[in-house]
Amino acid sequence: MIDAPKVDWLALSPTLALLAAAGVALLASVIGPAWFRRGFAAFVTFGGFVTAGVLAGFLFDRSPDAQPLLNESMTRDRWAALAAIVLAGAGALSVLVSWGETRRDHAGEYYALLAAAGAGMVFFVGASNLMTLFLGLEWFSLALYILCALDTHRATSLEAGLKYLIVGSFGSGILLFGSALVYGATGELGFAEIAAAGVTDDSLLLAGLAMIVAGLGFKASAAPFHMWTPDVYQGAPTSVTAFMSAATKVAALVLTLRVLTVAFPEQEHLWTVAVAVIAIVSLAVGNIAALVQRDVKRLLAYSSVSHAGFMLIAVAANSPLGGRALLYYLIPYSAMSIGSFAVVAARERELGAPVTLDNLGGFLWERPFLGASMWVFLLGLMGMPLTGGLVGKFYVFSAAYESGWWWLVVAGVIGTAISLYYYLRVLLAMWTRPEPTALRPVVAGGSPPRDPLLASAVFASFAVTIGSFFFVQPLIDLARDAADSLPF
Amino acid sequence: MGPDVTWYLVVAALLFSIGTLGVLLRRSPLIVLLSLEIMLNSANLALISFSRLHGDHDGQIFALAVMAVAASEVVVGLGLIVAVARRKLVLDVDRFRVLRG
Repeated sequence: MIDAPKVDWLALSPTLALLAAAGVALLASVIGPAWFRRGFAAFVTFGGFVTAGVLAGFLFDRSPDAQPLLNESMTRDRWAALAAIVLAGAGALSVLVSWGETRRDHAGEYYALLAAAGAGMVFFVGASNLMTLFLGLEWFSLALYILCALDTHRATSLEAGLKYLIVGSFGSGILLFGSALVYGATGELGFAEIAAAGVTDDSLLLAGLAMIVAGLGFKASAAPFHMWTPDVYQGAPTSVTAFMSAATKVAALVLTLRVLTVAFPEQEHLWTVAVAVIAIVSLAVGNIAALVQRDVKRLLAYSSVSHAGFMLIAVAANSPLGGRALLYYLIPYSAMSIGSFAVVAARERELGAPVTLDNLGGFLWERPFLGASMWVFLLGLMGMPLTGGLVGKFYVFSAAYESGWWWLVVAGVIGTAISLYYYLRVLLAMWTRPEPTALRPVVAGGSPPRDPLLASAVFASFAVTIGSFFFVQPLIDLARDAADSLPF
Repeated sequence: MGPDVTWYLVVAALLFSIGTLGVLLRRSPLIVLLSLEIMLNSANLALISFSRLHGDHDGQIFALAVMAVAASEVVVGLGLIVAVARRKLVLDVDRFRVLRG
């Protein structure tokens, strides 16, 4: 009988469910008959995401107190569990969005990779050790690099994949070297142990901290680490963009707040300022660059950079209210982001061409359901009433104000004001019917077949966007319970 | 008695800078991939020397895991480069500008 460590299977179950789904989907898409692959892989992956979400719900319910797992390399707490629920929801919606994408090959592998990326993210948000952090980061990143490049017949998809691989690995290289420096300064890898080592003003530790923040900034696509975002979002298959824009941001920001509060409480005065500066730069760069975009995917990519800025304001607040605001905001943000990219995907399949402001003309009247949903998503991203976006922004600002960051509030309000302009341009483009001067050639084969799965994903995102406004209190309570497991 | 840990750290920092400059300045994706590997391995060197300094094994285990990750990253990277080459796109990262950043 060897003395094996006790493994808390429930705490690992969401990751394991997704990993199992990825394995089964991959096997089926290699050895299964051709007609069977796509449907089976999609079904298994969807099931994996739903199971992971349900298991994470159990986990949330049953872990009021944070517990270390697996020799303290992971943590079982409500913070990770709630993030895992959001990630699983984002993944399930992305499967629905992906179904209508007609892919010539690798149709089954696509879903297997999606499940693998989800498993990596769920693993990543529970990390409480620099090694599990790095491994989780690479786990989901490698899957995403391949997903971006999966449409090998499109040059832009390959280009996006290669760019993401180079810039993403560059970011993880910086993160890894930072981890090595922190390990050198403290002799510890675990987050809690790093804080307990009591090293305060060591230059190795501070350099390491800066590099870790920069490395995570690459993943959250915060400026000035955002260079890859517009290109990759534009070039990747739109359903992958939908998943990436929501899930990567959730994973990266949730873990950023955890690593900063748990491992570096002594350096608080330094990293809050650094995060605040990154937030301001992201708001400025994202909102200003979005003004001149005509491609809708690029516009939404810059909008996601500016939203990374908003959420980093909540991180900089470094308070229970900030944690609550971050986790609450991620819920409607994920829905709005996936929903808007889903509508773009639908329009793209209809046109067989990239969606720009010019070919969105009259979309609201042509496809009333998708058009109206897109309006709601964009109004939500603006932060208009009746959507969760308003409440999210309000909570982020009040967290910043409470922690004395009034200039972050000012920057956020200015950013929102600038953002109205480019969101309104899209709304207007969808409203205005094109001039009926020339007969436009119609894509051969008439209008595309109805896609009830995509419509149901859009409807679910719509429901979450609106629902998170009307059911603020229960969601805020959940976020409060989750944020309580972090030491502020 | 070997050299002090500072020297190992200097070499690691030097390798890291070489890797960073390679990623930022070189144009062939193959060389860029190579530079990324140098960055990861400089971190490995730092991890291992700190592990020896502190006298525990965490850093060495971490370095082993990083090697596995680095290998899988190269697999994906080379796969993408082969796919690009098959489509006879020019292998020059400065010319990848269908999508302009």
